[in-house]
Order: sequence, then structure tokens, then C-alpha cells
Amino acid sequence: MMLTLAMLLIAVGCGKKKTGTSEDKSEAGSKSAYVSKGDEGTITGKVSFDGAAPVSKKIDMSQDANCASSSGDKMTDDTQVADGKLANVFVYLKGGPIDSHSFPTPSDAVTLDQQGCRYHPRVIGIQVNQTFRVTNSDNTTHNIHPSPKRNEEWNQMQAQGAPPIEKKFGRPETLIPVKCNQHPWMKANIGVLAHPYFTVSAKDGTYTIKNVPPGSYTLVFWHETLGEQTQQVTVAAKESKTQDITYKSGSTPAATSMQIGPTLVLP
Amino acid sequence: MSDQSNVGLHRLAVVLSVLTVALLVAGALVTSNEAGDSVPDWPLSFGRWLINSNSFVANVRYEYSHRFIAGIVGATTLLLAIWTFFSERRRWMRSLALCAFAGVVAQAAIGGLRVRFPEYKAMIAIPHALVAQSFFALIIAMAVFTSRSWLLPRSSEPDNANLPLRRLASVTVAAVLIQLVLGAAFRHQAFGIVPHIIGAIAVTVLIALTVFAVWPRHIQEEYLIRPARLVALLLVVQLGLGIAAYFARLASKSDPQPLEPMISLTVAHLVVGALTLATMVVLALRCHQVLIPARKKSAGAVSAAGLRSSGAAV
Repeated sequence: MMLTLAMLLIAVGCGKKKTGTSEDKSEAGSKSAYVSKGDEGTITGKVSFDGAAPVSKKIDMSQDANCASSSGDKMTDDTQVADGKLANVFVYLKGGPIDSHSFPTPSDAVTLDQQGCRYHPRVIGIQVNQTFRVTNSDNTTHNIHPSPKRNEEWNQMQAQGAPPIEKKFGRPETLIPVKCNQHPWMKANIGVLAHPYFTVSAKDGTYTIKNVPPGSYTLVFWHETLGEQTQQVTVAAKESKTQDITYKSGSTPAATSMQIGPTLVLP
Repeated sequence: MSDQSNVGLHRLAVVLSVLTVALLVAGALVTSNEAGDSVPDWPLSFGRWLINSNSFVANVRYEYSHRFIAGIVGATTLLLAIWTFFSERRRWMRSLALCAFAGVVAQAAIGGLRVRFPEYKAMIAIPHALVAQSFFALIIAMAVFTSRSWLLPRSSEPDNANLPLRRLASVTVAAVLIQLVLGAAFRHQAFGIVPHIIGAIAVTVLIALTVFAVWPRHIQEEYLIRPARLVALLLVVQLGLGIAAYFARLASKSDPQPLEPMISLTVAHLVVGALTLATMVVLALRCHQVLIPARKKSAGAVSAAGLRSSGAAV
């Protein structure tokens, strides 16, 4: 038993992730800062859903009386479909001119609020080293726990009325699942990118990415239950490009912690 | 060492065994309710040893209860170790007691690592499960070694030369322990269900062989028949629970949170697995006590009788 403990200590000590290593800094430093030429374009579009919309389930909040008595929606919202349009799709650009430039970190924070024992919003985007602020608007204690693979993992409780928690993610990562360990139905996702060309589709499925430098890109659409799709897009100078996409019911789900299906999973 | 002190020590070992089952249940509830990270600090809980009632809500109830029961198990193990050390003439029993205490300390430390390093959840949770079940097996063994039935003089019987029951029972204990760890690995998403299913097949075969080795040959020996009968029953129950728990898990894939009956079926499956391990430990120890290798029948009968009178394991 002591041998097991010793081996665990060694494994944990050697394997601990680091955020913002010198390698990250030198990689960022080797890119030239992007300078606008005034010829940026826009990518806009709609995310549609084809097929029968998943039925929302009622969330049982009885394990916390404060949650059970709170106002607000108590139905699941992992797949929000309204009039054939899909919300909460994280849309972002990859490749092209943006990969060879660095972009300034916004000074304003991106806020994730805990209200009605739900995370608001469910999907958010943030830039590397931008301030990520977590607020608790509920009459109960929450516990915010992002589980990144490339960034440092942290797990912090936030009592009722506690000041906001502020953190930063030092490396790009799409997407980081977030959960509350006290209220297991509370889930969110954070997309961390080194550039500002990302957005989240609205309830009507629309999305817009502004100020896109001219060039050819991969446009990535990510949904937490329906998975990822990509399109190639070329934006000319000052062009407004429309890129629609459709998810079908029965799309391959994104990997989740409960990824077990009727087929046997190979070890 | 008087019979009176042995009775007390035995009773304490039994109490600790029951407490350990309660701790296994508490631990299973933590995992099944995804509550493992609900108290982010350790060894304190929200900066305190005893949390206030306002904090004892939602998933904190499972994690904090697990820590509280673990504290009771730790204290009881220390008491058992001290009592064994000062009351047992059998030196190897003192070593077992020290191992038990070291085990519970190591288990607490592993639990602390689990809390402090959530990014290594699977890597730490699986050894945590292994140590938990090993500790349980050890306490069961101590309960057996301090029992009146173990200390009674018994006649020896020859083991089966073709299929030695002593070895078969020992191998089955190891197989059950490995299967429990494979189950933990599946629960903590280290890998899929296939290894655990293969393990279930292997354990079923081994337990069946063990039971059928006991049944006709030693049918007059209640000392062996009773644990054999019990482990057969537990195996049937465990297979049913395993299938039910798996399909409950499949059915709950789209649930927003862990819900019944998936939680209870999974916890029951884990606990019955632990009880299967405990019963096999009892059976294996008794086999080693009353059976002698077939080829050593004439010489072994004398030496085994001598060892049994001192209460030592053969």
C-alpha cells in the first residue's frame, strides 16, 4: 500500500500540467502582432437542426432546497432547438492568416454567472489570458470546476455572496468542460482561443464573426452533444460571407464522461 | 492471551469489518453521485473538521459523510492495532495489525491526493479502490484469525491432488480482487467495459470451480460448505446486479445528473463485490487451515495439527 502511495506521488509530481510555460511565451512572441488594414470581412450564418428535437428532461434539484425553490428554468438545455435552429454552437476560425499573428488580450472580463443553480451562459468563448470571472447569484454555495486538458485544472467553492472568482487560461483549448461538483446537473463549456474570431450561436441559430482578415480558413462548429463539423471558407477583402450549417438528429455525440454505448468500448 | 481478550478483539475486528462496508458504501455513493470534488480542500472540509449544517447540502453530503466514516474507520483500526499488539501472542497477527493501520493511513493519503489533484482523477481513484478492497480483505482475515471457530482444534483432510482447493481458492481471491479493480477502472473511465466483462467470466468460472471442488468432496465439512454456499449465492446476485447496473447506466446516458435506479444498482454491485471478496477470503483461509496437500498426508497431518492448536494459519 505504501508502494502504491509512493508511486502515485511520483506520478502526480512529474506529470503536473503547467500553464503559460516559456515555450508558450516564446511561441506567442515569435508571431507578429496583427495590424488591421481596414479590409476585414464578416462571416455570418445560421446553424440549423434537421430532425426531431431532443426532448428536454426535468432536472431534479431536490438535493438542495435553495436550488429547488429558486426561480428559473429547471429543464435540461444541453441541446436547445427552436423552430429548427440550434443554439449554443461554438463557432470559431482556424488556420489562415490568424495563425501567423498574435492578437491583444482584451482588458474586459468574460463572466460566467451561477443563477437558479444553472450556469449562464452555457457556452462561452474567451481569449488566452483574458480574465474569466465567475459570479454566484444564488442563495447557495457552488463549486466551480473546469477540467481542461491543456490548462491547469482548478476546483474552487464559491459561497453565497462571495466575491467573484477571477482566473485566466494560458493556452488555447476547445472546449473546456465546466461543472459544479455540488450540483451535478450544472454544466458549461469554455472555448479558449488565441484570437478573437469566435462566437456562440444564438437561440435563433444565427452567428456572426466580425473583422475577419481576408484569407482562407477552416470554420469550426462545435456542439457539446452533437459534435464538431467544419467548413472551408474564404473571405475576400471587406466581404460579408454567409456560411450556414445543419446538424442532423443522431449526429455523433462529442466525447462525454458517460461515453458508453450499447456497443462494447475497446480498452 | 486469554479467551476473553480474544473475544473482545474478535468483536472489534467484526465491528471494523462492518464499518468498512459502510465506508465502501459511502465511497461508492461519492463516485456514483459525481461528488468526489465537492469539497475542494483536504484534510479539512471547508476549513473545518466538523462542517456546519448549512454546508451539508447537495453533493457535499456524500463526500463529507465519506470522510467522516473514514475517520471512524481510521480510529477503530488504530484501536484494533493497539489491542492486537498488546494482546496477541501470535507475532504475525501483530504484523497484520500494523499493516491494517498502515493501509488506512495510506488510503487517507491517497484520498487526499484525489482531492488535491482532480486532474489525475482516474490514476488516483483506481489505487484508492484497490487499497480499500485490500484493506477490507485484511480486516476480514483478522476477524477470521481471532474467531473461536478458527482456534478450535480440527481434523485435517487431504486436498485434491488434481485440483488443489487451497491453491484454487487463493487464485479465486486474487481474481475477485482484480475484478473489483477492473470495475473501478471502468467506473472512473480509465477504459471500457470489456476488461470488466472478461474478468466477470473468469471470476464466475473460478468461483464455480471452487464451489464444485468443495461441495461433493467436503460436503460433511460445514466449516467449508457454508462459505462456499454463500459465495455461490453472492456470485449469482452479483452477476444480476452487474447486468442491471450496466443497462441502468446505458438508459441514463442522457440524464442531466446521476439518478436512481442507476445509483443504487451501481452501489449495490460494488458492495456485493466486496462481500464476495470477503467470503472468498474466509473460504480460502479455512481451506488452508483444514486441508493439506495430498502427497504430504502422513507427515502433514501432525504438523498441521500442531499449527492449528496455536491458531496459526497453515
